[in-house]
Formats: sequence, structure tokens, C-alpha cells
Amino acid sequence: MYKIYSEYFVLPPGFTKKLLLFMKLTAMLLFLAFMHVSASTLAQKVTLSERNASLTTIFEQIRNQTGYDFAYTTATIQAAKPVTIDVKNMELTEVLKIVFNTQPLDYEIDNKSVEVSIKEPSFLEKLKDKTAKMFAFPAHIHGRVIDSLGQPLPGAIVSLNLQGAPYSYVATTDNKGQFDFPSIPQERYTLTVTYIGFNKLERIVQVNSRDISFILVLHNSSSALDQIQIIAYGSESKRFSVGSVSSITAEQIEKQPVSNPLLALEGLAPGLAVTATNGVPGSTVLVQVRGQNTLGANSLGQKPYDQPLFIIDGVPFAPQNNNVNQLENLALAQTFSGGISQETGLSPFNGINPNDIESISILKDADATSIYGSQGANGVILITTKKGKPGKTTFDLNLNTQFNSVAQPVQLLNTQQYLQLRKDAFAADGLTPSSDPNNYSAYAPDLTVFDQNKYTNWEKIIAGNTTNNTDLHASVSGGTANNTFLVSTGYTRSDYNYPGDFADQRYTLHSALHSTSADKRFTIDLVTDYGYDQNNSAGFGGSQDVVLPPNLPDLIDPAGNLIWNYKGVPLNVQNFYSSLKQPTYLQNFNFNSSLNLSYQILQGLTIGANLGYSRNTTTENSEDPASSQDPSYAEANAAFANSAAQTINIEPQINYNKSIGKGTLSALLGGTYKKNTTDADQTEAYGYSNDNFLGSIDGATTIYPYDVANIVKYSAAFARLKYIYDQEYIIEFTGRRDGSSNFGPGRQFGNFGSVGAGWIFSEEKIFKEALPFFSYGKLSGSYGTTGGDASQAYSYQALYQNLSYIPAYQNIKQSYPYNLYNPDFSWATKKSLNLALDFGFFNNRLLLNATYYRDREGDQLVSYPLPAQAGFPSVFGNLNANVQNQGWEFTVSSTNIKTKDFTWTTNFNLTFNRNKLLSFPNLASSSYSQQYVIGQPTSIVMGYRYKDVNPTTGLFEFYDKNGNVTSSPNYGTAATGGDEVPIANREVNYMGGFGNNFTYKHFSLYVFCQFSSGDAPNYLSAIYGVNFPGAMQNQPEAILNNYWKAPGDHATLQRLASSSNSSSLISAGDFVQSSGAYSNDTYLRVKTAALSYSLPDAFLKKVHVKGGSIYINAQNLLTITNYKVGDPEQPGNYTSFPLQRIVAFGLNLKF
Amino acid sequence: MKILSFNKNKILAGLLLLALSTFVSCKKLIEIPPNPPTQITRAEQFLDSATAISAVVGVYTYNQGQGFAYSDANLTISTGLSADEISSTESYGDEAEFYSYTLTPVNSEITTLWQYPYQSLYQVNDVLNGIANNNNLSASFIKQITGEMKVVRALYYFNTVNLFGGVPLVTSIDYNTTAHLPRTSVNAVYTQILADLGDAVKKLPAAYPSSGHARPNLYTALALLAKVHLYQGQWQAAYNEADSIIKSGMYSVTNTPLNGVFLDGSNEAIWQLPAISSENQTAEARIFVPNSGSTPNFLVTPFLLNQFEAGDQRLQNWIGTAVINNQNLYYPFKYKNVLASATPVEDYMVFRLGEMYLIRAEAAAELNNLSGALADVNIIRARAGLAASTANVTSQTAVLAAVMHERQTELCFEWGNRWFDLKRTGTAGTVLTAEKTGWQSYDTLYPLPQAQIQLNNQLTQNPGYH
Repeated sequence: MYKIYSEYFVLPPGFTKKLLLFMKLTAMLLFLAFMHVSASTLAQKVTLSERNASLTTIFEQIRNQTGYDFAYTTATIQAAKPVTIDVKNMELTEVLKIVFNTQPLDYEIDNKSVEVSIKEPSFLEKLKDKTAKMFAFPAHIHGRVIDSLGQPLPGAIVSLNLQGAPYSYVATTDNKGQFDFPSIPQERYTLTVTYIGFNKLERIVQVNSRDISFILVLHNSSSALDQIQIIAYGSESKRFSVGSVSSITAEQIEKQPVSNPLLALEGLAPGLAVTATNGVPGSTVLVQVRGQNTLGANSLGQKPYDQPLFIIDGVPFAPQNNNVNQLENLALAQTFSGGISQETGLSPFNGINPNDIESISILKDADATSIYGSQGANGVILITTKKGKPGKTTFDLNLNTQFNSVAQPVQLLNTQQYLQLRKDAFAADGLTPSSDPNNYSAYAPDLTVFDQNKYTNWEKIIAGNTTNNTDLHASVSGGTANNTFLVSTGYTRSDYNYPGDFADQRYTLHSALHSTSADKRFTIDLVTDYGYDQNNSAGFGGSQDVVLPPNLPDLIDPAGNLIWNYKGVPLNVQNFYSSLKQPTYLQNFNFNSSLNLSYQILQGLTIGANLGYSRNTTTENSEDPASSQDPSYAEANAAFANSAAQTINIEPQINYNKSIGKGTLSALLGGTYKKNTTDADQTEAYGYSNDNFLGSIDGATTIYPYDVANIVKYSAAFARLKYIYDQEYIIEFTGRRDGSSNFGPGRQFGNFGSVGAGWIFSEEKIFKEALPFFSYGKLSGSYGTTGGDASQAYSYQALYQNLSYIPAYQNIKQSYPYNLYNPDFSWATKKSLNLALDFGFFNNRLLLNATYYRDREGDQLVSYPLPAQAGFPSVFGNLNANVQNQGWEFTVSSTNIKTKDFTWTTNFNLTFNRNKLLSFPNLASSSYSQQYVIGQPTSIVMGYRYKDVNPTTGLFEFYDKNGNVTSSPNYGTAATGGDEVPIANREVNYMGGFGNNFTYKHFSLYVFCQFSSGDAPNYLSAIYGVNFPGAMQNQPEAILNNYWKAPGDHATLQRLASSSNSSSLISAGDFVQSSGAYSNDTYLRVKTAALSYSLPDAFLKKVHVKGGSIYINAQNLLTITNYKVGDPEQPGNYTSFPLQRIVAFGLNLKF
Repeated sequence: MKILSFNKNKILAGLLLLALSTFVSCKKLIEIPPNPPTQITRAEQFLDSATAISAVVGVYTYNQGQGFAYSDANLTISTGLSADEISSTESYGDEAEFYSYTLTPVNSEITTLWQYPYQSLYQVNDVLNGIANNNNLSASFIKQITGEMKVVRALYYFNTVNLFGGVPLVTSIDYNTTAHLPRTSVNAVYTQILADLGDAVKKLPAAYPSSGHARPNLYTALALLAKVHLYQGQWQAAYNEADSIIKSGMYSVTNTPLNGVFLDGSNEAIWQLPAISSENQTAEARIFVPNSGSTPNFLVTPFLLNQFEAGDQRLQNWIGTAVINNQNLYYPFKYKNVLASATPVEDYMVFRLGEMYLIRAEAAAELNNLSGALADVNIIRARAGLAASTANVTSQTAVLAAVMHERQTELCFEWGNRWFDLKRTGTAGTVLTAEKTGWQSYDTLYPLPQAQIQLNNQLTQNPGYH
């Protein structure tokens, strides 16, 4: 009986010593956990709830509650056994009966004391005993509690209840999942097994004289509350979590026909902003957790963009979310800016198949992230790939075909409308269009030379196609309880919605092997991901050309040859086909491998290590054939580039789990060694004699090679201690000491840590009794620190570099200063507070969460912008400024209807984030003086307050700093005599998503909507910033009838301008910097709609298939918005490569 | 696992040690090489003359050697548009604003004109800092390089002060100081220029330090000094400096045919930068010379074309013609080589003797040596195939007009000469108002880039720009 203790003492002596040593290490942090709270009243009633407590502890408790003393000698109770008891307000005499029931002891109550002695069975008792043995032997009931995977469940509570009895027999399973009732009277009992995170098991047991042995299998709880989520260096149940973690499951990802897993996160997790940069297959997706923490951005007018740390199967993803291409690529050329400085290009995540992902966890607060120390400041995203499950070997095949088209097309003018606009523009300027280039202001070939009736819809030619994509994924998995495997492979082809043979093709191979030794002590997990992505694109040319004049002459002849001029008017600037004939080929290889070893030394004590290797390499080449270039200067050239990002990650760990008192303790101690290198080289090659040689460097007569290298090393020690007391109180400490090679001597190390606590108040009786529908309530919070280090190695030194592409000067190779010298920077520190309230109703069918957070990042580590006179545009260093992000996150998940045939579930999340510059000493004299305002969001845009169009002059007008109307506002903020004030806030005001899932018999329908709201540049900012109305460029239809024509007109847009000579261009420039160029950008998008039909069993049997379904999945199906012209997700530039609407038709089969 | 169980004590101890060693020796674990493979430290850069010289030639090749040309010939283009030399065929955009006098402080070309000199000046100051009191370098090396760097520094400040007026005077690399410097007066900038050139004249020998005329010698310093003195009205000094260059005998105008003036090894070149771009030889040729059948990016204005007298060979040699739509379009054609591979190679001319003749001529005219002035003018005219000037040798005004006329045709599209001449002679307003529309008196100075004022609140904007 009570094997936990007995086994402990039969261990070899050496182990005990080591264990004690370890205990000492952790003891300091544990003292809180040992505090017992007990009432000191003199009552005869006793309330006790103890598991495996020593007899002396029980005596102590009873004494405290009743005032009764216990008399005994040490020798007497030497043979005593630990006691498990759960009684409430029971008479002392009854309690003592239970306590001594199984003890080899006797007792006697005398006045206010209890005398304990060794049991001397009386004759009568002996006789009674004999009789009992003869007629009703107590039985020995024992067994094992396991989960559905066959893993033991230590700490499960097993009880035998006699109907109507005031108490029950209770045992707790040991680390092998075993429980033991040595002597149970013959009766009919209800056996109950409870274990958090699993459904309760109940069984009627008839005890007769025979011993009974059980193997009891518990099944995972279906409630979202009890689902296991992946966290830093481990996993936990949501029920006992005190950190802020959002999890996205495979089920949610699989329904979205997207090729980049990051795209599948949009709108699903509170606090997570996801932005697709454009619609080019394979292009970068930007991700941000809980707002912008750093000031950053080394050029003014550009907003910086923090991105979280990405970890795949425990291994930091080598390229992180940096674009993998170096050479020009349509993904790079076709981005929208919107004033945010962001990494764009081709995404490294394109090498990971969303179908291979089991879950994605977003770690947001200090409790969840401070264990990552220096790299956790912007949040952490953990991607966990799929593993095999025990059972019959299963083949799973998934195949779909997708159709893509522009999600939000823009309507441009036709030839007639366009030419009229141009004529109006010249008339407004008092000019007559001329065919003479010497006529500087009035030269207009589109009005004087080109065919006036020709109409080409360039938007339709460039982006108006429907493309056909293919996605194929197959996996085989299975195994035994101890050994499982999974191997899957996928192929995805995404065509560009573009004229030309451009596509992104991906091949992936994923495998996961798991093995447990026969004694269950040693486990090994090996996960390997291999991805090969091939992106054929063009260097440039594209959707910005949708605004070419609609009567522009043909740019290619019927045979596909380029046309360079029309009646002497050169078309070389407009001929985008030229660049489309200059292909770039990219091959990206992604390799992630994670080896996890663990060995259980003692019950609850395991040591292990995560060994990870991540490598992402890219090979590119681009070709500019002479045949694609203007013949007068054609020179065949090519470029070649390679890059490799690599991470080696070694993390030894010690885990310790133990039941202490009424609680369970889990402790983690670990170390990190991480080496991250990035290397890139590039070669430009010239002087080819023939276009056909461009694929190789051999044919070049002149080459300019170029390379860069970066190295970062980290070493760290980290620890986490979590104690859950009585399934009600939770306290958690995490800490990390982190060293980074990015800092100069003496500044390399930093300490980070957090404390988290939670109270599951629904465990309180008052809640349980008063509100039966109230099934779960938790109040939790955390506070702690994380840090940020430089992304660039060696920045603390003054460096000189060579530049290869500059030929030597008189045979001397040149050196150039590389940076400004600042040896003094060190860690940025973020302090995070997180408070959360969780509710569960109706047996947790309805779950609500409200979270408040407040993050403050100080010692900002930035590329501090400098005026040109300093010699460099920026210097790397700390800034004594403090940026705060605070906000609210809400989630609701509900099972609305659940019947045999029909279920309806709903998920909803909503996020509000408010950013604020808390402090910035000497802001006024800093480089940021015109960009930031203390007390305002760092995302504000400074500019003029727009009034309207002056009916007399036809020009835009603004308010100056005093509120007077002006047509020529002054640059600069009011403090410097200018008229600029905050006019917009680029921060997302609120965002979220809601999804409904319906299943009816064989049908399942999932509809997920995502929404977002904020200020953003509107289409007018693009028009007046780049494509002036009246210039030789097409315009959105939206401007028609809206511009000023004659004095007295009350128009929304100012008079047209045919050239830079128009005075209206100056006010156009002012307009772009005014509130008139920003609009509310709120949209609701039906992000995902997925309809599937499970094939009926009868049919499956006929075709010998285990399971199968057919489905239609759609992405970006419908958008509701007031945002005019262009896609509200790509604000401010209606000519960037548009986001795509995807409709996929697919088939899933299991064999 | 049997294999593991018999010595699990050892494994345990080993793993615990491994874990502990991570904490104990973590400093060791994050050691990286002292510098990345692609960079060296500043100390290593100035370790000896062989490495130091690579930083010096870095100054001459900043940004593909186009630091002097302000990236894409921006100095030539901007001043040419602001003056009456060229117009843009693109009627939109930042360049057109120079022509139409609608410049704003957010014009990107302005930013280029402002920041390129300062980026190069950092290099110059860093070299001066690196070689000063450097015991690893010989005194003669330090002397030579100091002289060269000061010529470069003076040249950048000369251009900058003429484009923007008084500018921050940066002579150190300490960004904590330099980032907050306000504008100084025009006089203070000129004082610095003259001090640098005075020192350079003392330090530089007549002989060039390397082959060709690729790095400054004494006469390079004097050439710039002559120009500075001319701009300041120091006629005698300007005369003497130009005179000493002409009389040095190292350069010749008469031996240089018009189509050979800008070639590598030109007899006329006092300082010419070798073509060192991978894509073209000079930015000017790449920008100005159109592809066949294409409209040039910039057209020579009728005002300038009209200045060329009948028979002026420079019209044929230095002005190109493109025929589009049966119309003749003229473009700057002093530099002809569009491709890097073209021969004979063209270098980028900084100072040439022709300009020195015209400086001496103007100084002489101002000093009332009118016949001497005309004689110099006629040397330039003769090479262009023109007869001697018909200006009245007794009229200082007429002779000065003849000099300015010759400067306009001889020095067009070079270093902003026309724009600066209009400004320093106070004729910009009258000339440009007559020729073009939109002129306002404040247009003589370009606006400071708005971003620079944002980054350094000590800077003030030039009047007239908001």
C-alpha cells in the first residue's frame, strides 16, 4: 500500500543523496508552497483532506482543530502507514475510526487526549476476525490508471464509495499509475477515478472475497479547458495555466487553402496581428504580438515593425521571418508600403507545409516568454509538427485543386474616360497637348500620337486571370504504445496570377519518430522536416503597370516580340513585358531537425536534452537576356546568389515533478547554447556573348562577387518552478540568465524573470454550491521581464569594409567605414503585466476569457537615426525611452448545440491594443522630435489637418497650427513653427475574428470571419503621391466627377494637373501629408469558408477505404468594407500585387 | 533500456555536469571572432600605409565613384535645370521641380545633394583622424594624404555652400557632436575651405602621387583655390593661382582636341577620376545619352543652344542630336560612353585647364587687364574653331561679358558652373525671369531636406521654403 513512499526508501542509497542535493537546490524557492493554512478552533468536528500524509501530520491537524492531544511514543508509530482521508465536518470519533482503520494501532480517548498504542487483538476480535475471514473476507483491490496512449497517470484520485456512507476509501495513484486498497469490506461500491484534463470514470464494483485488479483507461476531456497546449519547454493544461497563451490547432489550419502557415493565423488568436504583404505566391507574411514595442526604424516617416521569435519543434527557426531572397523578385517589387518599414520578399515559412503542423502556440506575456529571456520581448510563436499515434497503420491522402483570382479588384478608366481626363487636365493648365518633346509642359503622346480608340484593360492583362493551383499531401502513421511513427509528404503548386510562366512549387517531407523503452524510463523523439521550394518569378515589372494609359500601343507583337517604340515615341519605360522576360529562379531548402532525449532517473525526476538543428538555404539566379532589353543598350547579364541561415541549439534540461502535500510541484532547470549564423553571397556577371549562357557564371567576362556574414551566439541558464496547490492555487516562477555575443565586453549578460499566480476560485465551495451552472473560474496574473538584443553582430566596434562591386582604384582595393562607433549599448528590457479572468459555464461548454495586459519596453535598443552630417544615417544604441502597449483580449468559445446528429460551435476573439510613448527624456532635441509625441501612440502620423477644396481656386486647403485656413501649410510640428499635428494612428484599433462550425450528419460547415479596424492611407495618398490625376497614367474610376472643374464647384478632389508646372502639384504634395490622405480602414472579411462531406460508410466499405471526405475550402471569399479602391488589407496602394481569393476543391481519403 | 541502466549514475552525473558547465562557462560559449570576415576594425585599417591608402582611395570611389558626381549626376542635372542649360522630358517628378522653381524640402534630389557630401566628408575626416599622429605611418605619407584629403574636403564644402548657403561645418567623426551642429555662416564655411586649401598647397607637391591625374597634386589644390578666390572676388589671388597652373607647363589646351578633353589621359586634365563603375563610365553619359530611337531624359534648352555661335565646334562635339518624330532633340554629350566596356575610356573631369584660362581671364578683366583677358578667351575660342572675340577691348563690361559667354559655352554641364556663375554675378534673377516662368528671388538657394531638419532641430530652413 502507498507505494510512493515505500518505493522511495528502497532505492539505492546513492540516489537518495542525489535527490536530496537536488531538493536543496529547489528548496529555497519552495518555501511558499509549504505554508499550510489551518483553523485553530476548539470544535469536535473535524475537516481533513490529506493524501498520503504521515500520521503525525494528521495528529497535528486534529489537535489544531479540536484541541485534543495525542499521546504516543516514536516507537509506537514506527509501523504507522501514511493516511489518505477526505472528510468534512465529521465527528472526531468517526474521523479517528477512519484514521486508525488500516493502522496496526489502537487508541483510546481520555478527557482531551488520545492515547495511541500498538494493536493487541482481543480474543473476541480475533474470533470476529476469523469469522469475518471465513464468511466475508475483505478483498484486496488494486490496479493501474492509464491514458488512452497507455501512459500511466500518476496522481489520479481513485475512490470507492459506499452508497449512503459518510466517507469513502480514497487512494492516489503513484508514478506508475498504480493504486492499492489492501482491505476493502465486501460491499457494492461505486469506483470513481478523477484526473484533471480527463473525463471522470465511474464504475460499479461488487467486492466479494476475491482480490480485484483493474486497468482503468481515462479519456482526454473534450473541453477546450483541459486541452494540452504547448508552452516553452513543455506543455500544460489550459486549466492550470497562468500565462497568456493562444493555441491554434491543426483542425483550424487545415481548413484554410493557404500555402504559408502564417497566413492561417490571421484573426484566430487574440493579440496577434497578421499582415499579408501582397498576393505573390510565397510572399512574406508579417506577424506581430501585442503591438509595437520598439521605436526603431532608422529612417523617418517609416514605422518600425517588431516580429516575434519563431520556434519549430523546440528549435529556433534559423531564418526567423526574414525574407529569403536577395535578388529582385516580384514579391519584393510588388509590396505595398503604407509607411511601415517591413521585411518583404519571399517567406521562409513557405518551406513548411501547413498540413504538417499539429499546433501553433502564441506566447504573449512574461510568464510565457521570459524563459526565452533576450529573445522573448516581442512574443514567441511555437510551431509543433504532427507526430504519430499508436494504432493501426493509417494512410491519409489529401488532394485539392484551387482557383485564384483577385480578392478586391480596382476599376480603372476606359480609353474614352481617360482621354477626357487628360484633356481636362491640359485645359485646366491652359495648355494645348503637343506631340513635340521639346514642348516641355504640353508634350502628350497619348493625346497626339497614340490611337485614340484603342483600349487595353491592363489590369485584366496583368492581374485579371484565374490561376489553377494544386495541393497534394499524403501521410502514413501508426505504431505501438511505445513506438510511433509518422511520415508525410506534400506537393503544392501555386501559379502567379500574372502574364508569364511563374509559379511557386513546394515539396515537403516530414517525419516524426517516437520511442519509449520497455521500462518507460527512456524516451527518444526525432522530428525532421525537409522542405524544398522553387519559385520562378521575374525581377520586376508588374502590377504598378495596371495604370498604363489604356490607349497605349501594343507592347508585344503577335509573335511575342517586344515593341520598343511607336511612331518615334519610345515605349521602353512602359514596356513591362521586358522585365517579365527577365526571370529569376529561387530555390529554398529548409531543414529542421529536433532530437529530444529524456531519461527518468527517479520517480518524477527526468533529465534530458533538446538538440536542434535548423538550416535554411537559398540559391537564386536571375537572367537579363539581351533579347529582353532595349536593343540600343542591350547587354546580357546575370546574377547569382546564395544564402544560408543556420541555428545549432543545445538545451540540456532537468525536469522534476512531485506531489507535495495537497499540491503538485513541477520544476525545470535548463541551459541553452545557441549559435546562429547567416551567410550570403551574390555575384553579378556581365559580358555574356549569348543569352543562352546566362544560366551559368562561366560565360561572364566580368563578375562582381559580394558576401556578408553574421554570427550570434547565446548561452543561457533557465529555470521554471510551478506549484499547483489543491487544484486551486497556482504559483509559477521563471527566470533566465542570458548572454549574447551581440554586445561588447562587460555588457553581454542580462537577467530576466517572471512570477505568475492563479486562483481557481470555482473550487471554492461557495461557488460550487451557489452556482451549479458555473463550472470554472480562474483569476490569474503574471509580471516579469524579457529583453531584446541587437540583431547585428559586431555593432559595438568601428569597422571598415571592402565593396566588391566597385572596381579597384588604380589597382588599390578600397575600404569604406562601415558604421559609427558605439561600444556602450546593452539589453533592452520589457516589463510585462498580465491579468486574466476565465469563466466556464455549463460544464465548460461555454468558456470566456478576458485578459488585460500592459507591456513597457525601456532601454530601447534602436538604430538611432542621425542627420546626414553625422556621416551615417543611424547609429546603434540604447535610448532612454519607454513605450507602453496595453490592451484587452477577449475570447469566447461555445458549444451551442450538441446532439447526436447536429453540433454547432462558436469561437470569437477580440483585441484592443493601445500604444503610448510613456517617456522620452530630451525628445525635443532628439532625431525623433518630429515623429513621436510623449503620451501619444508611437504609431501616430504627423501631418496637416485637411480642410477641403477651395471652390474658387480649386486647390486643396488645410488648417494651420492656429486653426486658420491655408493653402500652403508649413513643415514641422507647432513647436518648430510648423503646422503638423497628429493626423492618424497606424495602430490597429481593434481586431478579431469569429468562427462557426456546424456539423450535421455527414456535412460540416465552417465559416470564419476576420475583422480589423484602424487608420490607413487611402487610395488618394497613392494618387496624389505617385499617380497624379491628369498625368499620363490611368486612374481609378472613383475619381470621376469628383474633381474641381470651374470656380464655384464644391468638389472633393482638387483641379487636375497635366504636369509638374501646375501649381496644384504643390498642394497635392501637402495633401499627401494631410489627414485627407488617411481614412478609416475597417473591414470584415469572410476569411475562410469550408464545407465538407464525409463519405458514407457503406460507400467506403464498397471501395475498401477506411474514411474519406470531399470538401470545398475558400479563402478571402467576401469583404465588407467602406474602404474605397483597393484591398483594405493592403491600404494605400491599389497597384500592388493584389491579395487572392482562393477556392479549393478537394478530396481526403484514409486507408 | 539495459545498456543505460548499468551506468546511469555516470550518465546522470555527466548530464548534470553538462548543464552546470553551461552556467559556469557561458562567457566562453558566446565568444566569437574579433571581427566578421567581411570587415576589419578601424585600428586594423590604419595599421600601415598599405592598408591606410585603401581608406584614402575609398574617398575617391565613394558610391561607385559617384560621390563627386552626387550619385546619378545630380549636381549637373539639378543645377542645369535650375539654370538655363537643360530641361527634363519627364514633366513630373523631383527633377522637374528644379526647372519650374517649385522645389519643396521633400524633393529627393535635394536629399542627395545634401547627404552625399556629408557621407564623403565622414570618410575624409575619418582618414585624417586615422593618420594623424599615427606612428606606423611615415611623415611624408601623412603629409601627402593630409593634403589630398583637405582638397577633397574643400571641394565638398565649396559645392555645398554654393547650393545651400551656410551649412554645418563638420570636421570630426564624433557623431555626438556633429549630429547637433547648426548651420554656420557662409563666411565661416569659406574660412574653412581656404584654411584647408592653404594647408593643402603647403603639403602637396607638383608631382602626382600615383599614375595619371587621378589624385590631387599641388595644382589641383591651386585650381580649387583659384575658383574659390574668383567666387569671393579675390581677383589677384585667383589670377595668380590660375596663372601658376597655366604656366606650370604640365597641362595644355591647345594640344587637346575637343573630342579628347574628357578622355582618360587628357592633356587638359588637372584632376580626373578614373571610370570605376561596373555598369558605366560616367553617370553623365548614362543619364544624358539616349538609347537609339528614344527621347533623351534631358534636353539642351534653346537658350543655351542659341549661345553657340555659328561654326562653334563644341556644338557638334559636346551636344548630341536625337531625331524623334522628325524633330531634332538635343542633349548633353560631353561624356559619350554609355557602357562600361566602351573605348577610348572617359574619366570624370574635376578640374581642367580650360576653366583655369577662363578664371584667369575673368580675374584679369576685373583687374582691368582687358587684353590679357581676351587673349585667354581666344585660346579657348580657337580650339572651338571660332575666330577671336569681337568684344571691345576697351570696355571692361564687354570683356567680362565675353568671358561669361565663353564660360557658358565652354563649361556647360560641368559642376554647376552656369548656375553658380548666375548666382555669384547677381544675374540669376534677370536672366532666368526673362527665359523661364516661376522664378522667385529665394530660388538662388535650394531648400534643406525636410528630414534633415527633423533629425537635427538646430538646422533652419532657407527663406522662402515651407
